[in-house]
Amino acid sequence: MGTWNLIWQGLASGVVTGCVYALVALSLVIVYKSTDVVNFAGGELVMIGAYLGLFILLGLEWPYVALFVMVPIGSFVLGGLFTRFSLDKVSGRAMVKHANLVPLVVATIALSYLLKGIVRVIPFTEEVRRLPPLMTGPPIFLGDVVIQQQDIAIVLVTTVVMVILWLFFGYTFVGKALRATSQNIRAAALLGIPVNLMKLSVWGLSAAIAGIAGILLAPKLLMTPDMGTVVMLAFAAAIIGGFSSLPGCVVGGIALGILQNMVGIFISPQAIAVTPFFVIMLVLLFKPQGFFDTTLAVKKV
Amino acid sequence: MNLWKSKGFGRLIGAFAASLMAPMLHAQTPGVSNNEIVIGLFAPLSGPLVAYGVDPLNAAKMLYDDVNAKGGIHGRKIRLVIEDDKCTGNELVGVVKKLITVDNVFVLHGGSCTAAIAAAQEYIQREKVPFVMLNAAGDNAVFPATRYMFGSFQGTQRVYGSALAEFAVKSLKAKRVAVIVHDDDYGKANLAAAKAVIERLGGEVVAQERIPPNISDITAPVLNLRASKPDAILSGAYPAPAVLLAQKYGEFGMTNIPLLQSTQGMPTPSVYAKNVGNPDALKNLYHTWSFSDIANEAIRARMVGMYKKSFPDREPGPFMVTGVPSALAVIDTLQRMGRDLTREKFVDAMEKLNLTADVMTGPLQFAPGRRDALRSVVVVKFDGKTQKAMPDIYTWNGKDGN
Amino acid sequence: MYGSPSTRHLLSLLWLVLAGFLFPSWMPEYFIYIMNMLMMYMILAVGLDIVMGWSGQFAFAHIAFFGIGIYGTALLNMRLGIPFLLGMPLAALLAGAVGYLIALPATQLRTVYLALATFAFSECAQWAFRTWESLTKGPDGLRMTAPQLFGHVVTNDRDAMPIIAIILALVLAATFYLWHSKLGRQFHAIRDSEHVAMASGIDVKRTKVWALAISAFYAGIAGGVYTLFQSYVHPDGLGVSMLVLVLSMVVVGGSGSVAGVGLGVVLLGILPELLRSAPKGFLIWQEFTYGAILMLAIMYMPKGVWGLWQRIQQGRKA
Repeated sequence: MGTWNLIWQGLASGVVTGCVYALVALSLVIVYKSTDVVNFAGGELVMIGAYLGLFILLGLEWPYVALFVMVPIGSFVLGGLFTRFSLDKVSGRAMVKHANLVPLVVATIALSYLLKGIVRVIPFTEEVRRLPPLMTGPPIFLGDVVIQQQDIAIVLVTTVVMVILWLFFGYTFVGKALRATSQNIRAAALLGIPVNLMKLSVWGLSAAIAGIAGILLAPKLLMTPDMGTVVMLAFAAAIIGGFSSLPGCVVGGIALGILQNMVGIFISPQAIAVTPFFVIMLVLLFKPQGFFDTTLAVKKV
Repeated sequence: MNLWKSKGFGRLIGAFAASLMAPMLHAQTPGVSNNEIVIGLFAPLSGPLVAYGVDPLNAAKMLYDDVNAKGGIHGRKIRLVIEDDKCTGNELVGVVKKLITVDNVFVLHGGSCTAAIAAAQEYIQREKVPFVMLNAAGDNAVFPATRYMFGSFQGTQRVYGSALAEFAVKSLKAKRVAVIVHDDDYGKANLAAAKAVIERLGGEVVAQERIPPNISDITAPVLNLRASKPDAILSGAYPAPAVLLAQKYGEFGMTNIPLLQSTQGMPTPSVYAKNVGNPDALKNLYHTWSFSDIANEAIRARMVGMYKKSFPDREPGPFMVTGVPSALAVIDTLQRMGRDLTREKFVDAMEKLNLTADVMTGPLQFAPGRRDALRSVVVVKFDGKTQKAMPDIYTWNGKDGN
Repeated sequence: MYGSPSTRHLLSLLWLVLAGFLFPSWMPEYFIYIMNMLMMYMILAVGLDIVMGWSGQFAFAHIAFFGIGIYGTALLNMRLGIPFLLGMPLAALLAGAVGYLIALPATQLRTVYLALATFAFSECAQWAFRTWESLTKGPDGLRMTAPQLFGHVVTNDRDAMPIIAIILALVLAATFYLWHSKLGRQFHAIRDSEHVAMASGIDVKRTKVWALAISAFYAGIAGGVYTLFQSYVHPDGLGVSMLVLVLSMVVVGGSGSVAGVGLGVVLLGILPELLRSAPKGFLIWQEFTYGAILMLAIMYMPKGVWGLWQRIQQGRKA
């Protein structure tokens, strides 16, 4: 059981956690591409998804499959409400894509505190909680490497979600309309696309993806109202991927997951905490467009 | 909202005006009048650490209520001013300054978080106000001992680390011990004490993992622990990482290695077990505990009964009992002092504390140069359903880890 | 708006200094402590406003520079015996220099990437404060020796207040001059439209760098002020919550004017005191309340309470 075993195990676990980072990164990227807003409440949307799942599973006692239907729907509604009532008010329903971003970002920060605050008020959340995993059972062994059944579930669900989204954006009418809106909002409006509805849908979709990430992540991570700090890892993943594309998120997420484990094994567990921030700074410094760029990260000014 | 008319603002102005008159009252001891003793009681009542603060503070309150119901102390009733310190240094310092200069309390009784308490230490030394910690471990604020700060009523991290180390080497016959703690003040103290004891008893520390308190993926540290081939694993982790640790240790098939957890990781053992979810991971689990309510059901029933009399609407968690010893110590000291109350006399009397209560695993003692009250704990085996106290009491020798 | 700051503004600073000398003699110490905190927050908030409100840039690294100011001033005093009047400016200059260095690459990024980059820097700085134990004593927290001023040791809030009042007055005077200066006007120009600014001949990148560096310098000064009336610093207090608090002060009070920012500092600084008197069951709603206040402010009062007040005034005049 030498260093190689550590590395293989680190790789395997890294891929799994990386998939979840990729999902959250994706939720951040689709919002950014359409509205130029960096959603600092992304982590809290993940957290809400997890607690919603816990409520449905333990409170209402519905079967596990219901989670994958109800949580995305619930989160979608939440995201839509936030857009309709808060963001639209802040940006004045303008059709300008480059409206002053500071208030919009501040609104997402306010949302994160609101969500955290509301969850914390419920006495149930005082103690650390756990969402039961989707697939339980004995772990699978690949040589000396241990893989939990939940891990396989995570990779499977992530893949399915990615494929669905790829088909959605590439081949459905709504998906293409969303892409058009994000590229040129005025042209889209001229074509008759209801741009405000599109904006609402994007935020709703983003929240729904975050919610799914929540129910995948919660069994591995444990649930507290503060679990939203995982958003920083998603940001790092998104930046590695250039903050612009689906495959970028996946590669960025997995790369980050593996990197975290390698840092933990070869440097020290203390350094794990700072790894995503270091990555963010380094990538933005030297390769701001990420490794998969499709849009410009550097301003022409 | 009309700011000027709000109740809170009115109270603030009232307190402000009242405190302007305070200098006139300073002729006598602050917080003491003919029929009243004022005590400032505080703990984290909001924020992430609320589970460590609310129940224990209520437990202290219930004991004070009980004393008042029996006629008070030498003819004086205890009046509490309760505040929320949010477990942060800035907030705790503000609360302490308010309690001393606006509410004119006699003594301070509170704090569940050592780092926050350490922020106020210089101020209370300067103002010469006795500070009795509620349920914080207290390492940083009681070593080195200072005159006015009393604490560690459920034991310091040094006590937990050395107790588990001694148990591992002596009872479990472990020679190779791995230690995993957080990279903060608690972790440092815990590790230092455990290391000293292990080496003193002829064992070897084969791994020292220091992890951030908010760690989310514990794969790498656990892999390192596994690679070191230990006979026992000592953990000083907080609740969420403690569960992750137990889960991962179960996943990696390490459950034949005894896992020994310090108290702070399991404030509510039943919730811990449910969160871990894997009964196999709990088959070799032990933890420290500073109270005899596990060994003795009658004591627990008595405590819970008392709590429910004062707070009928709230079901107390197991951590509630951690608020008891410091309150017992304050009440005992006030009773020993008689009618003549000054802050300096309180410090002298508290320093002579030697209190044995059936709810504690050891005596609560101070001395000149010693400000940590409890040095004895028990080790409890917990298999997910039942807790069984191990027969020995483990006492820190006052030196290991210092 | 252009030209020199008005006599009225400068006179108000004189009142501030006077209050700083008179208040400690009769005010209870707790309220002096609150006022010292508010004055420190004022320096932080004005600094943040310069880069976020005047110039429209994200500056989420503000608290990292605050930390550099605190540790810098304290360690220069403790390790090298450098008195406060020299130590604080040095620490603030260090903060400003770090800000300048960070700004050079960072200002090339699109606005929202700047938010992420500065946020990441802030987390890295907090991690460094926690891990560089030989310097900052890391998670144990640093117990700071009282600063010395002209041979006199400043140990309590009463002694500190006049000094803090003078520092704040100087900072605000500098801010007034900056507002009316050429650089100040450039800050405003780049906020509204960078393209137009460039067309007018303004070196946009250089302006942004200066905005960030100057706000870092302000944060460093606030850090020095911290050491005057607090005796302990811990890395946990130098994170996101602090940033969000200062941000809320700017947003709720009214970004873009000293009066607005001051109003925000007072409102959000006094709020915890008011909440203390609230029924204890309400305490758990605090986080939610802060989020709600920030959300409502950004939605309905984009120019803050001060902006609302001014609109009402103008409505009356009409």
